[in-house]
Amino acid sequence: MDPKLTEVTQLFARFKAAYSRNDLDVCANLLSQLKVLLTKFPSLPPSFQQTPNAVEELKLARDIYEHAVVLSVKMEDQDAFERDFCQLKPYYMDTCGIIPPSPEEYPILGLNLLRLLVQNRIAEFHTELELLPAKALDNLCIKHAVELEQSFMEGAYNRVLSARQAVPHETYVYFMDLLAKTVRDEIAGCSEKGYDYLSISDAKEMFMFSSDQELQQYITEEHPEWDVKNGSVFFQKAKESQPCKEIPAAPVINQTLGYARELERIV
Amino acid sequence: MPEDVQMSEQQAAPPAAATAAAPAPSTLHHLKEIASVIEAGSLTKEVRRISRAVRLTVALRRRLGHRDVSAFLAFALPASTEAYARLTSLLPKEDDTEMDLDATAQATQISIKHGLPEIEIYCYLLVLIFLIDQKKYDEAKACATTSIARLKNMNRRTVDVLASRLYFYYSYVHELTNSLAEIRGNLLALHRMATLHRDELGQETLLNLLLRNYLHYNLYDQAEKLRSKAPRFEAHSNQQFCRYLFYLGKIRTIQLEYTDAKESLLQAARKAPTAARGFRIQCNKWAIIVRLLLGEIPERTVFMQKGMKKALTPYFELTNAVRIGDLELFRTVADKFASTFSADRTRNLIVRLRHNVIRTGLRNISISYSRISLADIAKKLRLDSQNPVADAECIVSKAIRDGAIDATIDHANGWMVSKETGDVYSTNEPQVAFNSRIAFCLNMHNEAVKAMRFPPNSHKEKESAEKRRERLQQEEELAKHMAEEDDDDF
Repeated sequence: MDPKLTEVTQLFARFKAAYSRNDLDVCANLLSQLKVLLTKFPSLPPSFQQTPNAVEELKLARDIYEHAVVLSVKMEDQDAFERDFCQLKPYYMDTCGIIPPSPEEYPILGLNLLRLLVQNRIAEFHTELELLPAKALDNLCIKHAVELEQSFMEGAYNRVLSARQAVPHETYVYFMDLLAKTVRDEIAGCSEKGYDYLSISDAKEMFMFSSDQELQQYITEEHPEWDVKNGSVFFQKAKESQPCKEIPAAPVINQTLGYARELERIV
Repeated sequence: MPEDVQMSEQQAAPPAAATAAAPAPSTLHHLKEIASVIEAGSLTKEVRRISRAVRLTVALRRRLGHRDVSAFLAFALPASTEAYARLTSLLPKEDDTEMDLDATAQATQISIKHGLPEIEIYCYLLVLIFLIDQKKYDEAKACATTSIARLKNMNRRTVDVLASRLYFYYSYVHELTNSLAEIRGNLLALHRMATLHRDELGQETLLNLLLRNYLHYNLYDQAEKLRSKAPRFEAHSNQQFCRYLFYLGKIRTIQLEYTDAKESLLQAARKAPTAARGFRIQCNKWAIIVRLLLGEIPERTVFMQKGMKKALTPYFELTNAVRIGDLELFRTVADKFASTFSADRTRNLIVRLRHNVIRTGLRNISISYSRISLADIAKKLRLDSQNPVADAECIVSKAIRDGAIDATIDHANGWMVSKETGDVYSTNEPQVAFNSRIAFCLNMHNEAVKAMRFPPNSHKEKESAEKRRERLQQEEELAKHMAEEDDDDF
C-alpha cells in the first residue's frame, strides 16, 4: 500500500477516536493536518488523475470531508461548514462512476439546505435544490428541508417550529435552533402589521418565550417602538396611505416636459 | 429540450439571379456557387458575404445528398491535402453508380482558388451538418473535434462566422449523444480564444453554448457566475441574443429574481423568429410560471397562440387553479401533468407556486368578507395539517405584512377583519401607471431608431457635386483659419 495513503489512514483513525471522545480541539487540529496531507493525492478533484489508488483515495478524502462538515456543526462554526461543504461537493457531484455514493450524502446535502435557509439565502437554496435528482426529494433529510422552506414561504411558522421535534438527524438540531430565532423575528415583523394589539400572554406564546421577562427584554432590545400597557402589547401602526389631496405639481410638470421633449425628437 | 436547439435561421434569399433561368440547378451547382461567394468574401475581407454563404447552406440543407457532398469535397479541396483525406474518410461509403450529369455539365462554369482556409472550414461545416442530418453521430463528433482543433490555429476574421456555426454544431452533436460535460473545458478554452481575438460573434455563440451546457446539468450557480463575468457587448446575431435572454431568464427564475426573469423571457419569446416554434413554446412556458409566481395571471391569448395551444395546456390548467386559488385543484393539476412538468424541468417551480395559490385564495376571501373567523379561512383554503387555525393565523399575518391583503387580525376572537378598500383613483397610482406606460412606449421608439441600420455614407451621396465642392471649400478655409490661429499663438 502506498505510504502516503497509510499515513492518512492512520491519522484519520486517530481523528475518529478523538471525534468519538468528543474532543473537539484535538479533532480540529488533526483535521487541518489531514487536509494538508490530502493535497498530495493526485487523484482528488480538481485534477482527477487516474492513479491505481484513486478509488481508495477518493473514498478516504470524502469520508474526511464528511466528518469535517459534521465537526463544524458540532463546533457551531458556520463559515467552516461552508468551506468544508464546498470541498466536499465535488465528491458528490463529479465522482459518479468512480466511487459508490456515500450513505451520508443526503443527510449532509439536507444539512446544507437547512444552513442556507437559516442564513436566508433562498436563491442559493433553490440553486442547490435544482442539482438534486427527483428521487432525492423523497429522501427524509432533503424532504425535511424542502418542507421547511415551503412552510417558511407560506408563513406557516408554527409548522417550522414543530418540525424541530421531528429532525431526521441529530446534527440538524443546531440549525433548527438558529432557525427558531429567525422565525421569531419573522413572526414579530408580521404581528406588527397584522395585529393592533396582543395580550401579553398571547404574545409570549406566539414568540415562544417562557417568561414575561424574556418577552420584555426582547421588546426593549429589538422593537423599542412597541408599547406595553394594560397587560397588552400595542404595535405602532405604520402610517396609513392617505388619499392625496393635492396634485403633485412639480413632478407632473417635469414629466410633461419630458414627454414634450421626446415627442419633438420623434416628429 | 432538443426542440429549441433548432432555432431556424432566417430563410435565405433565393440564390443568385443568374441561375434562375437554368432549369432547377443541381445541389452541387448551388454548393459551388456558395463556394465562390465564400471565395469572394475571403478575398475582399467582407464578413457579410460569408454569413450569406452560411444562410444559403442552411436553405440547401434538406436537399444535401451523399453524392453532392463528396463531389463538392473533390471540387473544393485539393486531393493531396490532409483535410480532404480526413473528411472523405468520414463520409459513409455508398456506391456511386449513377453519374451526376448536371455536375459534369456545369463543373466548368465555376472554379475557385484552392487553399483558402475559409473554404476548408466551410467543407468541415458542410460535412458536419450532413453527418448530423444523416444521424451519424460518431462520425459527426470526430469531424467536429478535428475541425475545432484546426480552428484553434487560425486567426482570420473572415473565418469567425463559419467558426461560430461550427461551435454550435460541435456542441449540438455532443448534446445529441449526451456527452456535453466532456466538451465544457474545450468550450471554455474556445471562449477565451474568441475573447482574445476580439471575435464577438464567437464569444456570443460560445457563451450561449456554455450556458446551455451548464443548464443542461442544472448548474445554475456556475452558469450565473460565468454569465455575470463574461464580457458583454451589443448582440451581433438575433438568434444568439434570443437564446441568451432565455438562459438568463431561466437562471433568474431559479434565483428568485422574478421581475427580471419575466422581462428576459418575454423579450426572448418576442424576438424569436416565428419559425422557431419549439423555442417560443419553451419561453412561454417559463414566462407563464414566472408571471404566476409574481402573482400575475397571464391572459388567455397567451395560451391560444397559434401552434402552441396543445403544448401549453398543462400550464393553462395550472394557471386556472392559481387564479381560482383552489389548493385541491392545484394539487390535482400538478399530479396530472407531473411527467410534463418534470420533462420541462419546472417541477420545483411549481412546488413554489403553492404559496401563490394560498395567497390568491386568501385575497378572494378578504375581498368577499368584511369579517371571517380563522377557522373558516382554514376550511376554505383547505389547509390540511394538525393545527389549521394556527396555520391560518400565521399565513394571514404574513400576507398582511407582504401587502397581499389589507386586513387586521383580532387574536382574542380569532377573526380576520378586512379593511375598506379605498378608491384607487383618489391616489396618485393611476398617474404613476400611466407615466410608466408612456415611458415604455417612448423607450421602445428610441430603441427602434437605434436598431435601424443605415448603410455607411448614404447621406453624403445625396449631396450634389456642387454642394460638395462648396463644403470642401469651407472646410479648407476653416483648416487654413485654424492653422493661422495656431501660428498666431507663437
